[in-house]
Amino acid sequence: MSDAAIITTNNVNLWYNEKQALQSVSIKIPKNRVTSLIGPSGCGKSTLLRCFNRLNDLIDHVKITGEITLDDENIHAPSTDVVTLRKKVGMVFQKPNPFPKTIYENVAYGPRVHGVRDKAELDKIVEQSLRHAAIWDEVKERLNDSALGLSGGQQQRLCIARTLAVEPEVILMDEPCSSLDPIATAKIENLIERLKEDYTVIIVTHNMQQAARVSDYTGFMYLGKLIECGKTGQIFEHPKEELTENYITGRFG
Amino acid sequence: MAEKFHTELEKLKADTLEMAHLGRFMLRTAVDALIRQDAELAASVVARKEEIHRMEVRLEEHCYHLIALNQPMARDMRFIACTLKLITASLRIGRYGKVIANIVKEILDKPHIANLMSIPHMADLVIDMVDDAVAAYESDNLRLIDDFSSRDDTVDALRHSIFREGITYMMEDPKNISRCTHYIMVARYLERCADHACKIAENVQYMETGERVEIH
Repeated sequence: MSDAAIITTNNVNLWYNEKQALQSVSIKIPKNRVTSLIGPSGCGKSTLLRCFNRLNDLIDHVKITGEITLDDENIHAPSTDVVTLRKKVGMVFQKPNPFPKTIYENVAYGPRVHGVRDKAELDKIVEQSLRHAAIWDEVKERLNDSALGLSGGQQQRLCIARTLAVEPEVILMDEPCSSLDPIATAKIENLIERLKEDYTVIIVTHNMQQAARVSDYTGFMYLGKLIECGKTGQIFEHPKEELTENYITGRFG
Repeated sequence: MAEKFHTELEKLKADTLEMAHLGRFMLRTAVDALIRQDAELAASVVARKEEIHRMEVRLEEHCYHLIALNQPMARDMRFIACTLKLITASLRIGRYGKVIANIVKEILDKPHIANLMSIPHMADLVIDMVDDAVAAYESDNLRLIDDFSSRDDTVDALRHSIFREGITYMMEDPKNISRCTHYIMVARYLERCADHACKIAENVQYMETGERVEIH
């Protein structure tokens, strides 16, 4: 890959108890680009995604070997603060999970945790984040309404705004559109395209057409291994590996 | 669903081969009719022009339908792309057959000059190229097309030689002008058919390897 890498993994292995979920995964995630991870269920793509902000630490009996660096710093080094890491590497999940609070509070929550107290400053962050997440115009009149009253697609964009509010460098998205209808999906996809100007986006998706549409790079995973990673056009037009070919043409998976 | 799609691709391939064989048959038969000065045989070629047109429309629609409904990728996408090109090339080859067949009735009145010069030999070479290109599409065997560049050079050289020879006969006797002009045109059509065979070969190469090559 020609673009500069923001995240690099080197021979990452991961076990849940005895079961090995990742095998010698080495990948470079280019900065300010959208990278998709595709592969059949259980191939390790979500596990790999959760390595990038050490979300797997929260699961018991997980063992990880190998090296993962963010901005050339080892994220498992004793000096790494996990809270700071997760601020730098935000995450959006499959199902929108807004807090049962107002729209405003959902976005203001993160900056508050990280020490922003000034109301004017918070107002600014909330508006900017909601604008960046392409939902400002839909909610600006009702910032004090409950976030749970929003539609699924709006909730997901709110969750993206919540992630943006703490100014991350990388945004991880785990199947961000799988619970949305096609119109809400299109809005999120347009948003992803714009987000890469300021952020690096890594997206896990079952939907190969979505990976083809939104990403600059695509990695194909199978049984815990990264089989092939390259420019999206190359992967979907003429993949180098037969396994990739067979998966994306629906011959298995 | 993928299984159904792949069954449809097999059917598309079989139908496309049928059309390719018809295009090739029209060209071969037209050349035979020209050699034998057989007006009836020539008319039988012209009679199939509607049929090959209908095949083109139907097969193209099938391709578009498969693309719209299945969003094919990788090899499947390359196969459909190659098939669309093969459909177009087959129609053109068949149409050149029809055009040559139409010439037959124009030059029935007298025997051929110099036994049609190199046209029968040139036609054999061109039709072999069409056969090999279509067989490579059918069998995924790239060895059938790896010498297409030099074969195309030979065809080009023959066209040039027929042109020179035709001019010579015209200068010898103006009564030869009409007949020799037809010969020169036939050589030109055959050369175009070889170019279409090269295009098919380029697309089969792309279908198989994902690499774009240019055959001159």
